[in-house]
Amino acid sequence: MKATISSLSDRPNLWPWLLLAPLAAYLAVFFLIPLIDVAIMSFTEPRVSLANYERVITGSLYQKVFINTFLTAGLVTLSCLCVGYPLAYLMNHSKPRTAMLILLLVTMSFWTSFLVRTYAWMVLLGNNGPIIAFLRGIGVDSPPQLLFTRFSSTLAMVHILAPYMIMNIYSVMRKIDPVLIRSAKSLGARGFSLFRHVYLPLTAPGIANGCVLVFVICLGFYVTPVLLGSPREQMIAGLIGHQIEEFLAFGMGSAMAMVLLVITLAILAIYHRRFGLDRLWG
Amino acid sequence: MDHYLQLNGLTKTYGDFTALKEVDLAIGKGEFITFLGPSGSGKTTTLMIIAGFEKATAGDVLVEGKSLSGLAPHERNIGIVFQNYALFPHKTAVENVYFPLQMRGVSRSEGLKRAEEMLGLVGLSGFGQRYPKELSGGQQQRVALARALVFEPSLLLLDEPLGALDKNLREQMQIEIKRIQRTLGVTTIFVTHDQTEAMSMSDRIVVFEKGSIQQVATPLDIYHKPRTRFVASFIGESNIIEAAAVEPAARKATAEHIGEIEYGPSELDVEKGTPVTLMIRPEHIRLSRDPKEGRRNVRMKVETIVNYGDNALVIGRVGDLSMRVRVLGADVVIIKEGEDCHISWTPDSVYMIAK
Amino acid sequence: MRLIGVLVVVFIAAPLVIVVPMSFSDARSLQFPPPGYWLGYYHAYFTDMNWLRPTWNSILIATATMVVTMVLVVPATFALVRHRFAGKSIADLMMLMPLAVPHIVMAVGYYSFLGDLRLVHTHLGVVLAHTCLSVPIAFLVLSANLKGFDRNLERAAQSLGASPVKTFIHVTLPILRPGLIISALFAFIQSFDETVVAIFISGRDAETLPRKMFDSIRQEADPVIAVISTLLFVVVLVALVAPFAWRGLRNRIQMNASRSAPPAGQ
Repeated sequence: MKATISSLSDRPNLWPWLLLAPLAAYLAVFFLIPLIDVAIMSFTEPRVSLANYERVITGSLYQKVFINTFLTAGLVTLSCLCVGYPLAYLMNHSKPRTAMLILLLVTMSFWTSFLVRTYAWMVLLGNNGPIIAFLRGIGVDSPPQLLFTRFSSTLAMVHILAPYMIMNIYSVMRKIDPVLIRSAKSLGARGFSLFRHVYLPLTAPGIANGCVLVFVICLGFYVTPVLLGSPREQMIAGLIGHQIEEFLAFGMGSAMAMVLLVITLAILAIYHRRFGLDRLWG
Repeated sequence: MDHYLQLNGLTKTYGDFTALKEVDLAIGKGEFITFLGPSGSGKTTTLMIIAGFEKATAGDVLVEGKSLSGLAPHERNIGIVFQNYALFPHKTAVENVYFPLQMRGVSRSEGLKRAEEMLGLVGLSGFGQRYPKELSGGQQQRVALARALVFEPSLLLLDEPLGALDKNLREQMQIEIKRIQRTLGVTTIFVTHDQTEAMSMSDRIVVFEKGSIQQVATPLDIYHKPRTRFVASFIGESNIIEAAAVEPAARKATAEHIGEIEYGPSELDVEKGTPVTLMIRPEHIRLSRDPKEGRRNVRMKVETIVNYGDNALVIGRVGDLSMRVRVLGADVVIIKEGEDCHISWTPDSVYMIAK
Repeated sequence: MRLIGVLVVVFIAAPLVIVVPMSFSDARSLQFPPPGYWLGYYHAYFTDMNWLRPTWNSILIATATMVVTMVLVVPATFALVRHRFAGKSIADLMMLMPLAVPHIVMAVGYYSFLGDLRLVHTHLGVVLAHTCLSVPIAFLVLSANLKGFDRNLERAAQSLGASPVKTFIHVTLPILRPGLIISALFAFIQSFDETVVAIFISGRDAETLPRKMFDSIRQEADPVIAVISTLLFVVVLVALVAPFAWRGLRNRIQMNASRSAPPAGQ
């Protein structure tokens, strides 16, 4: 590594290949092969055929689940945006101390596992929890069931994924040169139009980043919908898990997994073409 | 002069781009040499080749007659001060200076002692325990210098080390570096694009342009006898006059707008009718309202006067030819912009540059 | 806009905060506000093997994952950041692939693949899977660090007589250390928290903590989960705040030290 402080006129070097080889080999065996396994199983379980895909694409249950997943992911993404943008804005326009504290809070949420946060929502939304208690307190006689509904699942997912959105938007906001805003103001931009024509476009990359990230993660979300969601309105990941666990239907599970994978990769590929993938997690 | 360091036909190409073209140079032991030139002229590339971080496409570097080409950078025993100092952030100042001794097997107690002495030489006694981030730019510079010198290298290379410092500090460091170099007698190559720096510090200056050496000479010679148009205009200010030789024996030429012009003695052979390029430094031109006796006078229309207080720059036209004249601040009051005046000079001030 | 921001802060904070008092609750089931407080469930957690074993498994597996990940990622990062070679951009992308694939898909794959290798429900199997999932994040952190590394430092070291190996040991590695530590930490956390794949391939002996928590929440929502949540929450809090406290402490010590340093001359 250090031996070759590479100069442009170096002869072809074996060294980088040697350094890369262990990881490449490892990923090839322990990452690619399991994926290939899934692909193969989708075509060969229980018999070699395209039957699984047929059912997945044409079956009404599966179509419903896919549509539900997409709609939910879209809803979650939008909500994260509505929730995350103001918070990022608040962070950017607060005193450094305050901004730090809020950032700490967001980071803490980010690093707390999905499971813990899901559990916290179970407590919050449960029949014996504070929200129901509050509703009863203000006179609602028979408060609706909050848990195990689409509402609870979506709300929890918004909470869990919001940090991704917030961090993305915040980091872009921080880089905006205040001089730009000042010169826009000196040219006559005010209030809402300042926001719409200057600030919003400048923060667009952060918004795009955040939305794609949240949407993609949400598509494949397993834990929260399974624990908090309505059993009648499943998302793809939950259904896949169900197929495997309950019915050992590897064929169907794999086929659905492949469809999910292809859709996810397609979205990421489009993003990569436009912006470059490393920007998402950078 | 003993050829302590020799560069023979050094060439460096990157694909289509030629960074260095057949560079030849001989440097004597203990000399303070400056590589001077604009960005991209090849001076840093040459330095990197000497240090071993770049491989020359062709040519060789010899120290005391022995080629360096087989040696890796860590075997060359050359001290380098980088532009950003490159002090190890995880080591204290004295540990930084001890590092080269450490690499050469010197014991920690002995090495730290020598390092402290070196820090004393550069004026940083007592700062040894500080980390680089606790030191100012000038102090970091001195540590970098101490570190590059503590192991008594055969050569000291400095790559634009003073660029990041403010003017006063820079001048101070220039004097410091020169003093240390003279005390230790180490052969030094100093790279810069700042001509005043080069002029004030060097025994000899090597002027680089677009990958080749334009001239190697003492500062005074570079200033008064520039060999090319580039050197004449890069160092100091100059008025370049294109003329044609009329009487080579009497050193007379004729130039448009000026007419007859005599020039000083030159090593260059010129025949009648040959086009020649002449140069007059602005400070060698005298300005007066009326023609001065005993000198070649020319009428000039004053266009702009820039007064710097102690001196002034007068820019004017002789016919279509633009001329610059430097006058003492007190003298400039005699003329005004838009007026005519006379400028004059003696033939010794007119210097012929190679075409 | 700011008002909404404040509301959002509450939104983000509330669930996090709520688990703490819950862990002290003495109710049998999820009830908030808790009817009473006691440390009973803390006691239950620390004495119940059914909880301690998965915790230990997770620590073990995460540590092993961290080690394997770093061993693979460090050289690869050097290769990708410092060298130019054909296929580099594809290699760059490949490193991030595990991030792009939904965990449920990997879970199915691992269930089948490791099943064939008889490695399901074993520590080794989980480590093998988790390593793949940790590679991207370790790589991202380390490569960011490496990209910001000043090459002149290495050149300086070489010019001062350090061979490439010595340069690496004395200069590159020490300066890179914080980045390496953070990279390793991320790999550890990624493995420790990983739920989906663990649900499918860990179990019985190699059951991880997330898997046990998941099962528990699904079945009976054991209040011990609040205890674990609080503990994890506190660990994260300490981990985030510690560097600042440490730095503040160090600065104060250093300031005192340099104040008593000799002014000039020895």
